Amino acid sequence: MRDRFAIFGAKSQEWLVGLLLIVPAFLALLFLRVIPAGIAVWESLHQRSFFNPDEKMFVGLDNFVFLFTTSPTFLKSMLVTLVFVTVTVAVQTVVALMLALLFTQRGWGMSFWRTLVFLPITIPVAVSAVVWGTAMRGDGIINAALERIGIPAQPFLASSDQALWSVVIIASWIGVGYWMVFLIAGLRDIPDDVKDAAALDGAGPLRTFFSITLPLLKRPLAFVVVANTVANFLQFVPAAILTQGGPENSTRFVMYEIYTQAYVQGDVSLADAQIVLVLIVLLAIVALQFRLLRSKE
Amino acid sequence: MGAIPRFATVLFTIAGICVALLFMLPVIWMLTSSLRPNAEIFAHFSPLTWQSIVPETWTLSNIVGLLGTGFGRSLLNSLIVTVITTTLGLVMAIMAGFAVSVLTFPGRNVLFAFFVVGFSVPFDAVAVPLSAQVREVGLTNSFFGLALAGLGNGFAIYLLRQFFLGIPRSLAEAARLDGASWLRVLWSVYLPLAKGPIIAAGLTLFVFQWQAYLWPLLVATDPKMQVGPVALAGLVSLSGVIDFSQMFAGALFLSIVPAGLMLWLQRYFVSSVSRSGMTG
Repeated sequence: MRDRFAIFGAKSQEWLVGLLLIVPAFLALLFLRVIPAGIAVWESLHQRSFFNPDEKMFVGLDNFVFLFTTSPTFLKSMLVTLVFVTVTVAVQTVVALMLALLFTQRGWGMSFWRTLVFLPITIPVAVSAVVWGTAMRGDGIINAALERIGIPAQPFLASSDQALWSVVIIASWIGVGYWMVFLIAGLRDIPDDVKDAAALDGAGPLRTFFSITLPLLKRPLAFVVVANTVANFLQFVPAAILTQGGPENSTRFVMYEIYTQAYVQGDVSLADAQIVLVLIVLLAIVALQFRLLRSKE
Repeated sequence: MGAIPRFATVLFTIAGICVALLFMLPVIWMLTSSLRPNAEIFAHFSPLTWQSIVPETWTLSNIVGLLGTGFGRSLLNSLIVTVITTTLGLVMAIMAGFAVSVLTFPGRNVLFAFFVVGFSVPFDAVAVPLSAQVREVGLTNSFFGLALAGLGNGFAIYLLRQFFLGIPRSLAEAARLDGASWLRVLWSVYLPLAKGPIIAAGLTLFVFQWQAYLWPLLVATDPKMQVGPVALAGLVSLSGVIDFSQMFAGALFLSIVPAGLMLWLQRYFVSSVSRSGMTG
C-alpha cells in the first residue's frame, strides 16, 4: 500500500517539478528573445514622428518597402553579409576539415597542438580585431613579411577591394579551430573497421577519404555549415572597430547597418524592420540546425 | 614495415607544430608587443627581422601603466558580469536540461525545441529593441543588465540534456523509491555524474559573455560600467594618437582570462562535444 502511494506520489509530482524547473529558462526565453522580437515587429509597422518620438503612426509595410526600394544602404548590407557569410563558411569548413584530418593522425603531442589551434575562439573578437587591424596597417607586420618575400605592400582594410577579404581572414583565424573540434569528434565516430575494410580492398587514402570518410561525415559537416552561418551572420565588431562599414560600404554588415540606422541616423522603426528581416532568416537557419541535431534520435 | 609509419608520425607531428605555430603567431606578437616599449613596436618592420617579434628591451611598464588608467576597472566589470552570467546561466540550463530529459510532463519536447531554437538565435539580433526596454525598467548601467546578453544559451541546454538522457533512469527510480525528492535526485544523482558537461556548458557561457561587445555598447553608457572589450576599442579609436603598447597590454589581459580557462579545462569541452551526439 505504501509503495503504491510512493509511486503515485512520484507520478503526480513529476510534471509539477518539471514545469517549475523550466520556469527560469522560459522567462529568459520570453524576455530575452520573444518579447523584444515582438516589439521589433510592432515597431517595424510604425513610424515615429521626427519632432516628437513618442508620437507613433501606423504605416503598414511602408518601412519594408522603403528598405527594398529606396534605402541607399540596406540592399548593399545584405549583399555584403551574404558574400561574407558564404565565403567565410566555405573557407572555414574546408580548412577545419583539413586540420581535423591532420589532428586525428598519430603524432607526438597532437592534442596540445590541436588545443593551440582551438584557442583563438576564446579570445574576444574585439581583441582579434585590434591585433589583426594593427598587423594589417600599411606599416604593419604583415606588409613587412610580404615585402620580405618580394610582394608589394597591400592596403588590406583600407581598400574597398580588400577590406571584406581581410575580415574573412580575421573571422577564419577565430573560428577554424572551433569548428575543427566538431569535425574531429565526427571523424572519431567513424569505426576503424570501416576504414580497415577499405584499405584491405586496396583503396588508397584519397579514395578512402572521398568514398568512405566524407559520406560518413555528412552530419557533422552539415552541422558545422549551418551553425557557422548563424555565428557569422551578425558580424559586427570588425566593422565597428576597424572599418566603420567602409571603405565605400564594402564591410557594411547587416548588424552594423542596423546599429547605424538606430543610433546614428536615429530611425528606430527602420532599424526594427531590418531586425525583423534578419530574425526571419536566422529562425529559418536555426530551425534547420535543430532538425539536423534531432534527425538521429 | 615499421619504418614507414614512424616516418609518417614524424611528418604529422611536424605539420601539427607548424599549423599550431601559424595560429599562435598573432598571439605571440601580441604578447611580445605588450612587453616592449611603445617606440619599438613599429621600429623593426623594415626589413622584417627576428627583432620584429622579439623585444630588445623587455618591460612591464605598459601593463602597470594600463592598470592605472580606467582599464583595470573595466576588466573588473567584465569579470563580475561574466561570473553572474555563467552562474545564473548554468543554473538555468541545468534545471531546464534536467526537466526536459528526465521528467515527463505535457509539452516537454515542444518546450525543449523552443529553448534550443529560441536561444540559438543570437542575442545580438534582438539587442536593439531590448535595449530600449532595459532602459525603461532602469537596468541600464547595472551588472545584471549587462549580464543579460549571455544568459540564455541553447548549446548549454542541449549539451546538458543530451548528457542527462544518457544516464540510466533506473538510478533516478531507485533514489525515488528511497524517498528522495526530484530535486534531491538532480542534486545527488545527476549533478555528480555531469561534471564534464557542466564545465563545458560553463566555459561556453563564460567565453560568450566575456566577449560581448554590442550589448555593453548599448546598455553601459556610464564609463564606470564599461566592460573590457569596449574599453579596448576606446583605446584605439578615441585617442587620436594610439599608444600601441597599452593597446597590446589590454588585449593581453582580455585574452589571458578566457584562454587560460580553456587551456585548463579544454578536455571537458572536447569530450562533451564528442559525446553529445551532435556529430555522430
